[in-house]
Amino acid sequence: MTNHYLSVEGLKKAYPTRDGKAGTPVFEDIHFSIEKGEFVCIIGHSGCGKTTILNVLAGLEEATGGVVIMNGREVKGPSLDRGVVFQSHALMPWMSVLGNVAFAVKSKWPDWSKAKIAAHCTEYLEMVGLGHAIHKQPAELSGGMKQRVGIARAFAIQPKMLLLDEPFGALDALTRGTIQDELLKVVQATHQTVFMITHDVDEAILLADKVILMSNGPLAKVAEIVDITMPRDRTRAGMHHDPQYYRIRNHLVDFLVNRSKTYAGGGEFEQYDPKRPPVVRPGLVDTSDAALAPDAVRPLTQLKKVVNQ
Amino acid sequence: MSTNLSFRAALLSVLLFACFIGIWHLATLPADGGAVSAADAEYAALMGQGAGKAEGFPTPAAVGRTFVHFLSDPFYDNGPNDKGIGIQIAYSLLRVGAGFLLATLVALPLGFLIGMSPLMTRALNPFIQVLKPISPLAWMPLALYVLKDSDVSGIFVIFICSMWPMLLNTAFGVASVRRDWINVARTLEVGPVRKAFRVILPAAAPTILTGMRISMGIAWIVIVAAEMLVGGTGVGYFVWNEWNNLALPNVIFAITMIGLVGMLLDFAFGVLQKMVTYRD
Amino acid sequence: MKDENLYRPYAADVALGRCSCGQHGSQHEHDAEAARARSLRGEKAESLSTDFVEAALVRAIFPQDATRRLFLKAVGANAAMAAIASMMPISDLQAMTLDKAGPLEKKDLTVGFLPITCATPIIFAGAADFYGREGLNVTLQKTAGWAIVRDKVLAKEFDASHMLSPMPLAISLGAGSTAAPMVMPVMENINGNAITLHLKHKNNRDPRNWKGMKFAIPFDYSMHNFLLRHYLAAHGIDPDKDVQLRVMAPPDMVANMRSGNIDGFIVAEPFNQRAVYEKVGFIHLLTSQIWDNHPCCAFAATEDFVNQHPNTFAALVRSIIRATAYVNKAENRKGVAEMIAPANYLNQPQTVVEQVLVGRYADGLGQVLNAPDRIAFDPFPWHSMGVWMLTQMKRWGYIKGEVNYKDIAERVYLATDAKKRMAELGLDAPAQTYRKHMILGKEFDPAQPEAYLKGLPAAA
Repeated sequence: MTNHYLSVEGLKKAYPTRDGKAGTPVFEDIHFSIEKGEFVCIIGHSGCGKTTILNVLAGLEEATGGVVIMNGREVKGPSLDRGVVFQSHALMPWMSVLGNVAFAVKSKWPDWSKAKIAAHCTEYLEMVGLGHAIHKQPAELSGGMKQRVGIARAFAIQPKMLLLDEPFGALDALTRGTIQDELLKVVQATHQTVFMITHDVDEAILLADKVILMSNGPLAKVAEIVDITMPRDRTRAGMHHDPQYYRIRNHLVDFLVNRSKTYAGGGEFEQYDPKRPPVVRPGLVDTSDAALAPDAVRPLTQLKKVVNQ
Repeated sequence: MSTNLSFRAALLSVLLFACFIGIWHLATLPADGGAVSAADAEYAALMGQGAGKAEGFPTPAAVGRTFVHFLSDPFYDNGPNDKGIGIQIAYSLLRVGAGFLLATLVALPLGFLIGMSPLMTRALNPFIQVLKPISPLAWMPLALYVLKDSDVSGIFVIFICSMWPMLLNTAFGVASVRRDWINVARTLEVGPVRKAFRVILPAAAPTILTGMRISMGIAWIVIVAAEMLVGGTGVGYFVWNEWNNLALPNVIFAITMIGLVGMLLDFAFGVLQKMVTYRD
Repeated sequence: MKDENLYRPYAADVALGRCSCGQHGSQHEHDAEAARARSLRGEKAESLSTDFVEAALVRAIFPQDATRRLFLKAVGANAAMAAIASMMPISDLQAMTLDKAGPLEKKDLTVGFLPITCATPIIFAGAADFYGREGLNVTLQKTAGWAIVRDKVLAKEFDASHMLSPMPLAISLGAGSTAAPMVMPVMENINGNAITLHLKHKNNRDPRNWKGMKFAIPFDYSMHNFLLRHYLAAHGIDPDKDVQLRVMAPPDMVANMRSGNIDGFIVAEPFNQRAVYEKVGFIHLLTSQIWDNHPCCAFAATEDFVNQHPNTFAALVRSIIRATAYVNKAENRKGVAEMIAPANYLNQPQTVVEQVLVGRYADGLGQVLNAPDRIAFDPFPWHSMGVWMLTQMKRWGYIKGEVNYKDIAERVYLATDAKKRMAELGLDAPAQTYRKHMILGKEFDPAQPEAYLKGLPAAA
């Protein structure tokens, strides 16, 4: 249809009920796209089907309807083109840190010599700051270190796209910050295309080029797509000096707190077209008074300005 | 602290053993039978009196002498029906080994299949449920009839009884491999063989080894019983042969050896189990 | 030429093909010197065969033994030998039979046995390597029970085996097992069993008072079972209703008697003597008191084995007949006991085995008794014995319907063959294969099995 790097068209997922009939879809009519080198975050409450969408992108799950097209080809089944970082790190505890990464590298390049694989893995492990721990067993690592191994494993196979399923969810705030920095660094260096699930608004603002906001499930939809218009060279430390930061943050929090429940195609959103979900740029709109107002109608006025531009 | 504890435990074990031997000794002190009436010395001789014949339950000393006697020459061979305990244990271990190996060759792949496929699980489940509770020795007559060879039948019985714990544990272990690990393998487009050996097998190995350890325990119990039944060679035959002579010290000796070998087998599998167990 | 022929076809004073007294053994007494030379010949297969041919030839010339004697008396042995040799190509004939004997089809054999004194000839033939002298390499495999023996023989794991003499009949009939044609070339022992009672019954010797008692038997298809049933029934006890009969392995019998689970048992030696030795029981009676010279254990093989290995089988049977003759001699018994008592064979205290074989034994009640015929060894498989066993199988319902006693007995018990093998070894075999037996004071006529059955109490 279009020349997007990846496009999701009309995705729908329904689980059969106990008596075998098709249940209410968790989500339906999901449309969005990702460009090459873009970092996309998806935010939404639990139960809106974020992880399912990620799994469909990864090819680990099949959607009930709709297609995912990447590079002009439909995604069917998992592939080395799309690296996945799992929520629970998913390291294999019977392999060393190096072994885990090497397992992935060997899968991608089966012909490589042992030495070449080891060198390649070491490079990526050093990139996430684990050069000193390559011969350790996963059980000897802290949660943050394990997740870094998971990230290194995903990067090491140099996938066309990286899928991250809330990778820092289980980490304490301090560790999370450090790893976010590292991820940011690596992504900026490699121009990796990334699709990431997060619950953390700051994380999304720090990392993403755009944020997909999901309304609540069942029958969840893409409510809005928020462009993060802040310059790309963000840092965790300096980000909140940018005036855009608060506007974007308020917009996202406001959505999560107030609007995500009612957004599911209610009557007041007549203009809503699921094929072209509204794209907003709250960072560029100077409505310091409106941004904090907990009014469900006001964003609609904003919306009208930006819809279909 | 922990060395102190194990030292105290060892001391207590020794003490308990000493108590056991002491009570045994007291309980089997020869009753004062009175002097043999010299009037019928021939009758007494025919009854074995004075010929070092032990009366009643053997004393610890008598059993101790038996241990020394058998262990001092464990590999003698006085013909097909009288071999040293070392040779007999070797025969039993060979049979158990053969049956167990066969069971492993069948149970692991089949367990994999069952564990991976809900369809196979359901299809095979009724058979497994019916076959599993059958006493291994109940197979013996059927095996003898069909296989027409007692050695092969013995091995078959080991095979069939080793099978179930291994099969079920393998199936369970494989079925409950963490989804994430499977997904990692899938996203890496790992081929089925590599996935089986590098991901599923190591992931399920602790569970599988537990099954194998249970199987080995059963196999060792069963081989002794089977050899008592079929005879010829093996430690079970040794027990039967000594029981046929109503030689209790020898039977006690054999029972102890069976226990020790069983313990060593279990220990060996414990070590293996530790080797494949991973910390998460 | 000298009359050194084993069969003594030129001896005028001896019946040919039958010993002079009609019983075994006594022929040698007439001429001990010549007999020794003959049996030496008998142990060499070659001379044995040539002698046999020559004897057969003489017998063919003089079908009537009386005529032969008259002829020999008239012309003298040497003249007769020369005359016949000139007329007949004896040496050619002898060479022919040697060829016909042919090579052994199978040399490595496995033979099963149970560790009881009944197996003495089978064991002794191994211990003294009588098998080796026939060119056989026999592995004797001790076996845990009769059912296993049966299964291993049917599974061809044993080429031949020690068996209870009713077993080949029962297996051939498919009673208590899958039917498979069996043959029994030789009997092993006669007598050699006893009824042992728990010491608490030492004043309860009258079987009429045994209602409610529990007895152990070694196997359903055993002479032990048939003799005990016969004995009980003769004393007004119904073995199926008035007492409990339980099949048990011999050592279990002793152990169960010790714990008082059974009141008595009938079993092969040395377990009766062992119960005495263990001070748990006493010997109530020797089974020879029920039926003197009753058959007990036997040597048997499947018909298949015999058909496929005729020469091997003949050699095997010869070894056993030779061993049987040896162990039957009273003067050899003590040495035999010493030889078969160790762990590889019976695994019993030597004194216990010796008391059985020598026949001077402690009875368990403080007496030393003498019974030289407590056990004897006689290979001849009387058809009449087989017929008696079949009557008992029918009597107690182990086989049903019309029983062709003679056909079955003659097919399984190779009496004619045994006769031939015994003759080959210079042993005297009876001319007949049927005779009347005295069993518990009642005559058993093998010609009238049904009539005998009708005359018994508790007949089925």
